[in-house]
Amino acid sequence: MKIRVVCLFILLIAIFAAAFAWAADQEKIVVMNPRGIQPEIRKIPMATRPATLDGKTVYIVDTKYPNTKPFVEALLAALQAKYPKTTWIVRDKVGGYMDDDPNLWKETKEKAAAAIVLLGH
Amino acid sequence: MITARFKELVTTISYKKGIPNMRITYTPHPITDRPRDLCDKYVQGPDPNTGQPMLDEIYAGLTKPLSEEDRKAGFLKRDPRPRLLPPDTPEKLLEYFHEQNFTDGNPIILPTEQKVAEMLRATSRKPDEWVGQMRPSPPHEAWYYTVEMVAVNAVMAGAKPEYFPTILAIASKGLTSMFSSTSSFARMVVVNGPVVKEIGMNTGIGALGPNNRANSSIGRCWTLISKNLGGSGKPGETYLGSQGNQLNYNNLCFPETEEGLPAGWNPLHVQKGFKKSDSVVSLFSGWSFNDIAWYSPLPIHEVIRGWLEHFFSFGTTQATLVLDPIVAADVAAKGYPTKEAFTKYLADNTGTPGWLYWSQNANALKQAQSGVEPYASWYKQGQGAVVPVSRYKRGGGGVARNTAFMASKDSGEPSNSIEIVVTGGGTNTFWSGGDFGYAGSGSVDQWR
Repeated sequence: MKIRVVCLFILLIAIFAAAFAWAADQEKIVVMNPRGIQPEIRKIPMATRPATLDGKTVYIVDTKYPNTKPFVEALLAALQAKYPKTTWIVRDKVGGYMDDDPNLWKETKEKAAAAIVLLGH
Repeated sequence: MITARFKELVTTISYKKGIPNMRITYTPHPITDRPRDLCDKYVQGPDPNTGQPMLDEIYAGLTKPLSEEDRKAGFLKRDPRPRLLPPDTPEKLLEYFHEQNFTDGNPIILPTEQKVAEMLRATSRKPDEWVGQMRPSPPHEAWYYTVEMVAVNAVMAGAKPEYFPTILAIASKGLTSMFSSTSSFARMVVVNGPVVKEIGMNTGIGALGPNNRANSSIGRCWTLISKNLGGSGKPGETYLGSQGNQLNYNNLCFPETEEGLPAGWNPLHVQKGFKKSDSVVSLFSGWSFNDIAWYSPLPIHEVIRGWLEHFFSFGTTQATLVLDPIVAADVAAKGYPTKEAFTKYLADNTGTPGWLYWSQNANALKQAQSGVEPYASWYKQGQGAVVPVSRYKRGGGGVARNTAFMASKDSGEPSNSIEIVVTGGGTNTFWSGGDFGYAGSGSVDQWR
């Protein structure tokens, strides 16, 4: 009888120890956010579209990724053939493909109804 | 219009630029180097992402009426940035950090408030003080970060608190270690000054390898900062490196061995205008790195000259040599009393392989083909000959430099684009070199 009681006691201790270990393993902690601060995003209203491009000028702006001119020329030829009532003009953006070209954007707004910006890679 | 491979990139950038419904037509990928007849087929075919005929889609994009949503101004939703993450078990948090791309794929130290507080004790700067801003590349938005945010990433990287001022100095430069380009950029960071010994960096055997906690964790931290504080490193959106670059794990972080410099050779930070007693980090940008373990009957300075002449990678007009102290001493003994004297010799005496010169100088090629001298004579010698124009000289002569948009410079322009740093344990007469260009230096002392 005494042996049974001792065994039961040892079993209970073992159960409690296992439960305690399990609980410690499952303990939750708090850590800090490693992310930086993202800026707010201001929404830009899109420009109104013309109902038709007949009689209008559209600039095809080439950002000049290396060795992509054949595609630009193919696009120009195809658009001219399919939409002959529209004037399609290719304009090269100044500098490399990451350079801005405010003069070209100003000219586009003044002289074109719309623009397609190409392209890379 | 953009090629189909970059759908993720263009849609996320359009959203972040404030035009979530940008009208985009995709072309097959790639377009570069495709012949005209193939391009003709492409434009007559469908947009590979939508299946719509390309030309019809272009016309519709330019004429279809806008929705009410498209006409509105305002602000677009961004997820809030809590200072603390929701509590969870360490095991689950580690998995969460990996899933969120907060890590470099290796285990990190979880940034508890206690660990971050310990890190913050290594600087006199306040936790909420601005450190800087960083972006993956010029078209992308810049993220902003504080001293505390840098400390979080320093804990994650496994850095000791005494490394923190050095890490802050790197973070303050705002240069991402994972520039978003299909060409898979790499970076290098060189540490100079008293801080090297103070924090136990390794300038000896294996200085460039995974053999020292400071060298390793400081370099690693730059990558974590770039991903988490600079918005970089998300494949497809803010990272496009076609193959990636192994150097991004540690960013070639090492100190210069100032005791190992030959007499008269200034440490890098002194060359860049700092005092010898200043502690400084200097950042470099490039792509590739060679370990040259080579014996030659030629004198070492000639071997280095030959390597520079024929070395080719993406960055063809800049180079950084990392010389073991034995090599530096041998070069100095050949009659180069300063680093500048040696780089001048190298720039003055390296030509450019013909195939490389003609592929990068369209105007010169036209002149050669038109019989204009000296181009015509150079061209006649064939693509394998060396054209006597240095690609490392600046300001007259030399081929056009790579665009510097991926790096910024603090100091004035030297006469050539070759830098020299000395480090290593002197076990052999070996050295390293790569297409790295200097991108600026920052004071460690101001962050103590």
